Amino acid sequence: MSVSIWGVGTSHFGKQPGETLVGLASRAVHEALADAGVDEVDAVFVGTVFGAPGVAPRVLHALGVTRVPIVSIENACASGTSAYHEAHSAVALGRYERVLALGFEQMTALFDGAIHPEASDAEGRMGMALPSLYAMSAARYLEVFGTRREQLALVSVKNRRHAAGNPRAQYRKPCSLEEVLASRMIADPLTLLQCCPIADGAAAAVLGPARGRPGEVRVRASSHRSGALWDHRSPHVWGFEIARDTARAAYEGAGIGPEDLDVLELHDAFTIGEIVTSEALGLAQEGRGGELLESGHTTLGGRQPVNPSGGLLSRGHPLGATGLAQLAEIVWQLRGAAGARQVEGARLGLVETMGGGVSGIDGNACVVTVLER
Amino acid sequence: MSGVGFDPRPRVVEESGVARLLGSRCTACGHVLAFQAPRCPLCRGPLAEARFGPDGSVWSATVVRVAVPGREPPYGLAYVDLDAGPRVLAHYRPAGDRALRVGARVRLRGCTPQGDPAVEERR
Repeated sequence: MSVSIWGVGTSHFGKQPGETLVGLASRAVHEALADAGVDEVDAVFVGTVFGAPGVAPRVLHALGVTRVPIVSIENACASGTSAYHEAHSAVALGRYERVLALGFEQMTALFDGAIHPEASDAEGRMGMALPSLYAMSAARYLEVFGTRREQLALVSVKNRRHAAGNPRAQYRKPCSLEEVLASRMIADPLTLLQCCPIADGAAAAVLGPARGRPGEVRVRASSHRSGALWDHRSPHVWGFEIARDTARAAYEGAGIGPEDLDVLELHDAFTIGEIVTSEALGLAQEGRGGELLESGHTTLGGRQPVNPSGGLLSRGHPLGATGLAQLAEIVWQLRGAAGARQVEGARLGLVETMGGGVSGIDGNACVVTVLER
Repeated sequence: MSGVGFDPRPRVVEESGVARLLGSRCTACGHVLAFQAPRCPLCRGPLAEARFGPDGSVWSATVVRVAVPGREPPYGLAYVDLDAGPRVLAHYRPAGDRALRVGARVRLRGCTPQGDPAVEERR
């Protein structure tokens, strides 16, 4: 069955300690339901990482969503897109008709800086915070490919410029290359402004069979997998292979190649993530992501804008909400409703989210989906 | 985050003054890993205990400068490919406040006071 996204919605993204999860989710869900033109849904898939036991039905009953199956999914940074992927599968298989995918996270209640490494994980127990994992990818990448620190930092400059047009982003003020490089070192060579900020937020989408109504965005393909073993045998930096392989499956399912895409939202939790992922998705050869960025190819106004929303680096990263916020951005882009950050004439878009934190594999989960107007 | 009884970190043993990583080798496919496990994660073959190191090369390294619970920044972290052995995460003391360079030769030197496997650069 051909599946469409009927509607999307998000809360504001940012540090909102005065907000409740119900308040954040309410904005996302009610906007998505109104956008889809439905009052009820038949099932809900929820993505959240740090949510307390029972958090999904606790939030949903307060929004009037009761007496339907609710399934919660934890897949690190890809939790929201994993919920979306399951919603898509459920509709495609004819299991349910109107399915809500919802992601939320309230991170300011838990952390005032980097997420604490997980003590039950071998590397987490050793003090391996996520910035250091990406920092080691960056250090290796810079050494092997001769990429410059300025090229890494340019990711933040570009995405911050994009975010100026996104009223729901946490950081909308432009920043200069000098500011990015001079900001506090977090884990060498990644400085503060090359790391996404924590945030509170929620995002949602309603999926159903394609009805051919205006505003619907068709799902051409959705692909999801966990990482392969990542060890001394891999010549690639952490996270490259899972994104490459998940994207290949999505391209095959959609019958397209990377050159066909008009706009992309991809996982830029750290600057190096956008560079490596742009290569894994096939926009550039391995080692050439920095040049692609410098050429303006991925900037608004370029051939294939990446992260027109400002990305995780500007919007902030409430883990469970992120994937569905990326999805909402691509839906708005394909409808021509993205305002100041609109990619002119965008017809075909892609969302990629990847989550990590388990040592020994090159990612807990990656989701890639291709959407079409 | 959670209180965990089992310590999942790689184990380092000292024998005749030489620190070695106590890992596993698959008796079926030869895959090496830095841990003990029920089966080989590649082929599900049986694993035998194996010792690796002490020498290896830095795959990549960083210096962590943010607060992490239970640890005092700055501290060095490196992925080290032990010679004929697995890749293992190790701590090091940054010299001159700089990260180890990719490809640097290092040697296991036991564990930090917190019990993390540690390496130092060979000069």
